[in-house]
Parts: sequence; structure tokens; C-alpha cells
Amino acid sequence: MKFLSLLFIELKKIRRSKILLILIIPVIIMWIPSIVNASMNFDVHDIPITPENNFFIQGFMGMTWFMIPATLVIATVLLTQTEQSQNGILKMLSLPVSTIRLCLAKFIVLVLLTILQMLFCIITYYASAIIASQLQDYNFVLNPLFVCTNVLTLYLAAIPMAAVFWMLSVLVKTPIFSVGLGLASIVPSVLIINTKLWFAYPMSYPFYLLMIQYGKAATGIYSSQIDWFPWFPVSILITILALILSCIRFGTLKKR
Amino acid sequence: MNMIETHNLTKVYGDFTAVSNLNLHIQKGRVYGFLGPNGAGKSTTMKMLLGLTYPTSGSFTINQKKYPQDRISILKEIGSFIESPAFYGNLTGEENLDIIRKILGLPQSSINDALEMVGLIPYRKKLAKKYSLGMKQRLGLAGALIGQPPILILDEPTNGLDPVGIHEIRTLIKSLPQKYNCTVLVSSHLLPEIERMADDIGILNHGHLLFEGTLDELRMRARTAGYSANNLEDTFLAMIDADNQQKGW
Amino acid sequence: MLFLLEAKKIKHTGYLAAFLLSGIISCIFPIIHMLVRAETFTSLPGNPYVILINANWKMMTMFNILIVICGACIMYHTEYANSGMLKMVTLPVNSIHLFFSKFLITALLLAGIIFSQITVLVGCALHWFPNASFDFISILKNTGFQWLIFLPTAMLMLFLSSVCKNMWISLGIGIIMVFTVSIFPQDNFVVSLFPFCSPYQTLAVVDENSHTQFFCMSCIIQTVLFYLAEVLYLKTRRSFT
Repeated sequence: MKFLSLLFIELKKIRRSKILLILIIPVIIMWIPSIVNASMNFDVHDIPITPENNFFIQGFMGMTWFMIPATLVIATVLLTQTEQSQNGILKMLSLPVSTIRLCLAKFIVLVLLTILQMLFCIITYYASAIIASQLQDYNFVLNPLFVCTNVLTLYLAAIPMAAVFWMLSVLVKTPIFSVGLGLASIVPSVLIINTKLWFAYPMSYPFYLLMIQYGKAATGIYSSQIDWFPWFPVSILITILALILSCIRFGTLKKR
Repeated sequence: MNMIETHNLTKVYGDFTAVSNLNLHIQKGRVYGFLGPNGAGKSTTMKMLLGLTYPTSGSFTINQKKYPQDRISILKEIGSFIESPAFYGNLTGEENLDIIRKILGLPQSSINDALEMVGLIPYRKKLAKKYSLGMKQRLGLAGALIGQPPILILDEPTNGLDPVGIHEIRTLIKSLPQKYNCTVLVSSHLLPEIERMADDIGILNHGHLLFEGTLDELRMRARTAGYSANNLEDTFLAMIDADNQQKGW
Repeated sequence: MLFLLEAKKIKHTGYLAAFLLSGIISCIFPIIHMLVRAETFTSLPGNPYVILINANWKMMTMFNILIVICGACIMYHTEYANSGMLKMVTLPVNSIHLFFSKFLITALLLAGIIFSQITVLVGCALHWFPNASFDFISILKNTGFQWLIFLPTAMLMLFLSSVCKNMWISLGIGIIMVFTVSIFPQDNFVVSLFPFCSPYQTLAVVDENSHTQFFCMSCIIQTVLFYLAEVLYLKTRRSFT
């Protein structure tokens, strides 16, 4: 069977799950304080940054540090619960489908859900930037090309993390541990991006990229150059390893 | 010709032996009744045949194919129904079947055929989690019957159905070999049930196969052992009881 | 008796182990922090304990809140997963007692975790600061306060989990709450009174603004209110499902 149709089947399985709300609500919550406190963007405390860049970066700060990773954790719970609550996985395993493809299709669904959130993010950013511009009589709206490429890279950088969370949910059978480990791993990422080993910690990648943006918009705050090496090869290695491990273990837990 | 054959199939969980040196011979185009009390190892055997759990030792062939090399091609030929029905509660009955249909690559019309066979047409648009126990059971059966697979593995398919439902499903199962030339392995803990459906019968107790043969052979054996041949239930109970006493269970 | 039964139900769910693990990680956190950046803090003027709790409490509480969210979700997940809940409501026990037992377990474990966390902070102060002194009464006082202001969050989270049959929905709401709180300004007094936000406060800061009594009262009232919400939910549940 074609991978694409398997993917459509996996998307069908999460119908009526209200996951869209979990994707949208934090995005909206994130921008409300930004609009309300838009005037604070002028008060930059000697940091050489333009108000519109400040608005963009401050707004995305909480998103990249906490909400993108947390959304991924919640989505993995949704995906595993959908299979387990009525034993659907048992039926899937007794049908002629490759478990590896099944596992990968679920991972792609996870990635698609974050991409969906990314689109909401861009839309709400523009909505709130326009509202803030009206309120403050100052143009907060940034160039669409700049915004889209930036947000896209932030979410691309979340893919290795998505693979790790997916691996956790496959390997760790007890839900409290897979969820707990996932959430606990988010907390220290703010500290880890200031250490030398940040590139080995996928939960900090989106935040790192945002800090680089910050560094570019306000010289001196943070590095303005991305350390591609060893980050790039390490992140790809982590993603592939996590996916291989989850594909090997997927479905075998039931078989013992 | 044997459609399904097992060779010394054994499954051990820790220090508990669920299935022990099982040798089944299930012939093509017949209904094979798999009988045994609760916990005898029927479900474990069926799960092994479907690749849902690995045998500790021994092997089996299904249509001359072996697991795990031929997993996908074996599963393509089997329609299965295991234990409590497995489905997705947030989808309707029809959507659940659509998932199976797509994986098996069947035409759209097969969903209706399957729903009709088990009498779920009026409830096709209802969410599966809102189904009654009997309806869930029927949905599970529809998922096994869809596309008329050449082999059917059904684990206690009449559980939770009302008398009318039991009769319907039983008649359906009995008619399958003639209609679609398929082989059926059906389990139950009730002998009268198996008696009404099956051509061949295998009796399992504590993982051991006590008897395998046709119903007539079972009657014969009952007669020689001094039980009334009209009452197979007694024969069955006595066989289980004798086995339990002999092995000290 | 119900309490013991509830304690039995969480067996094999990893609940206790998860609390223990989270407690250990959050206790190690200030130690590592000190090992790496001791001079930054020892050079600061003031009470060593206050310096340390200000530096670490946010992170430690984050762990506590996350484990309480996970714990509440798991407790009710075990009820709903195999319809255990259905059995319980058909037995002659009062559902609200079940709820309260769950709350009691959470509260007891939290007390243990918070006590260890405060003790570790005091230990760090004694080890790294020359002028630090040991005072058991103040450890108890701090533990008591930090525990009390955590109760509304624990009660609310259990209430949410009891209402949502799908674990990931209650988990999602909890996480969104944590997130929301983290982006609101932290120095706003009214905001700091609410669940998911109050646990971040420390006795030192609240004392300084002489809000302690008001704060404690508000947390007790909120805890009771969320409990009453559950009572109301249990009474009206049958008309929803």
C-alpha cells in the first residue's frame, strides 16, 4: 500500500479529536499580552533593537521555549491514546501493513500538526501586529518574507525534537513517564542554550534559532551567527537515530 | 489440504505456559471449532497465528507461508477478530471499516457489503464509542469479514450478542465456506455453539490439545468412553475434568 | 480505607516513581546551579536562603507543577482507561471521597517533595555561604507556605482530569495554563493569586510585601472552591452523559 494513503488513514484517525483547539489556543494566548503591552516595545532598556523586531522576538519567545515542545508532547499523547484507548492498534497490527511505515506515518502526522500550528502562528502574528500598529500608531508589521522564513526555520528546527518525543512515546510504555520525561526535558532548555553542549539537546533548537535572530536584531545580545557545525550533522543524526529506534520498537511492545 | 498447520507451537509467559506443543491441522474450506474453557490458551494461539505475539518455540504455516518472513502476505489473506473488538472510538462504524478497506485495497462497495452482513447498516454513521456491546461486536466482525478473505480467525465472535444475534452470526459463519470458499477458525468456550457451527473440532485445556477431529469422531470417542453421544457437553466436561485430575490442576 | 484503596490503584502506573524522579531532579537542580555559578550568588548581599530560593524556585516549581499535571492525568486515566470508574460509581462509595483521596495522595507527595526541596536549598546555603545558619523552624514554615500555595493548582488539575475522559485534553489544558502563566507579567499581585501562578511565589517575597495572611487565605478559599466545583460536577454529571 502506498505511503501517502497510509498517511491519509492516520490523519483520518484523529478526526473529532479537538486537537486543533490545542494548537490554536496557545497561539492566541501568546499574542494577547503582546498586543496589550505593545507600548513596552518602545522601552528597550539600552538594547539596540527596533520596536517592530522587539515585538516579533518577544512574542515568539514563549512559543519557542515552551509551547512548541509542549504541543509536540501533547500531540504524541493524542496519537498513542487514539491507538490504545479502544485497542485500535491490535486491529492495525493484524492487518497487512508494515509496522515501520505505520510508525513513520504517525511521525509525519506529528510533524503536520506542528506545521499547522506554524501557519496559525504566522496568521495571528500578522493580526496582532496590525492591531498593535493601530493602537500604538507605529508600524509593527514586518516584511512577510522575513517573518515566514524565520517562523519556518523555527519549526523546522523542532523536527529533531519531534522525533525524540515520538521515540519516547514509543519506547516508554507507561504514559506518565513518556509525558513526564518529555515535559521535564523542556524546562532546562533555556539554561542549556548557554552551555557549549546545546547542539546535543534538540529541545533547545528552536529557542537557539530565535536567540540568533535576537542577536541579529540587537547586536551584542547573543551571537548572530548560527554554529552550523557540529549542530547540523548532530541534529540529523539525532533525528535519524530516534526514528530508527522508534520504528524498530513500534508494535513490538504488544507482541511480547 | 491443510490451510493452517502448527508444529509444536508453544508460548510461555514467565513461569506460566499458556500454550504447550500444539499441533493443529485446519483443513481448507471447513469451519474449525476451537473449544476450551476460559484461559485454555485459545486467544494466545490465535494471536500467534496473527503475528500479534511471538511463539516461544515451535512454528506454524498458513497457506504454506511462514511468519515472520511472509507477515504481510499472510495477513492479506486473513480476516481477524480478536478478543474485545479493537476499533477507533472517535470514528463512526463506517469510517472504521474504511480504514481497513483502504489498507486491504478493497473497493468502496465492500464496506456496505460488510455492514450488511452483520446488520449494522442503520448505525453506520454513529460513533463507535457510542455503540452497545453487541454493536461493537458486530463492527469487529464486519472488520474481519470485509473483502471476503480466504481465511477467517474469529475469537469468541458471539460474545455479548443477544440470542437472535447469536443465531444470525452462527448461521452466517456456517454459511461462509460454501459461499466464499473460505476457511474459518472460530473459538468458543461453549460446546453447543461449536457443535452448531463447526465441521472439525479441537479441544484445548491448559494449553494442551486434548482432542482433534470431526464432530462424528468426537461422538464416537464419547461412546467408547461410556458417555451419552447425544450429550456432547457432558463428554466435553468429563474430558476437561479427567485431564485436570490427571495433571493435578 | 478509601485512601488506602486509592493508593493501591496507582500501583504499576509509575505514579510514585514519577513523583520521586521529578523530586530528585528538581532537588539536584539547585546543587548543579551552585556548582556552576556559585560566585554569582555568594557575592550577593542578604539572606543566603532567600538568594537561593529566588534563583532556583521558578525552575523547581515548574517541575512540581508539571508532575502534578501528569499525576492528575494519570490518576484519572487509570479510572477511565478500562472503565474502572464505571465500576467505582456502581459500588456503595461516595465519588467525592474518591476524589478527595486522590487529592490527599497528591498533597502528601507534594509535601514530601517541597520539604526535600527546601531542605536542599538550606543545605546549599550552609555549604556555600559562610554566614548561613541552620533553622529547622524556618524550614518547616517555608515548606508549609510553599505547600499551601500549591494546593489550589493540585485541586484544580484533579478537577479538570476528572471532567475530561481523554487524558490528552486535561493534559493539554494544564500545559496551556502553565504556558499562559509564563508569559503574563510575574510581578502582578492579582495574577499571582491564581492557580498555576501562585506556586511560583516565595514566602520571602510575599512576607516582604506583608501579603502572607491574605495569600494563604486566598489559596485555602480557592482550594475549597475547586473542591466544591467537583462536588457540583458529580451531582450534575448524570445530566451531561
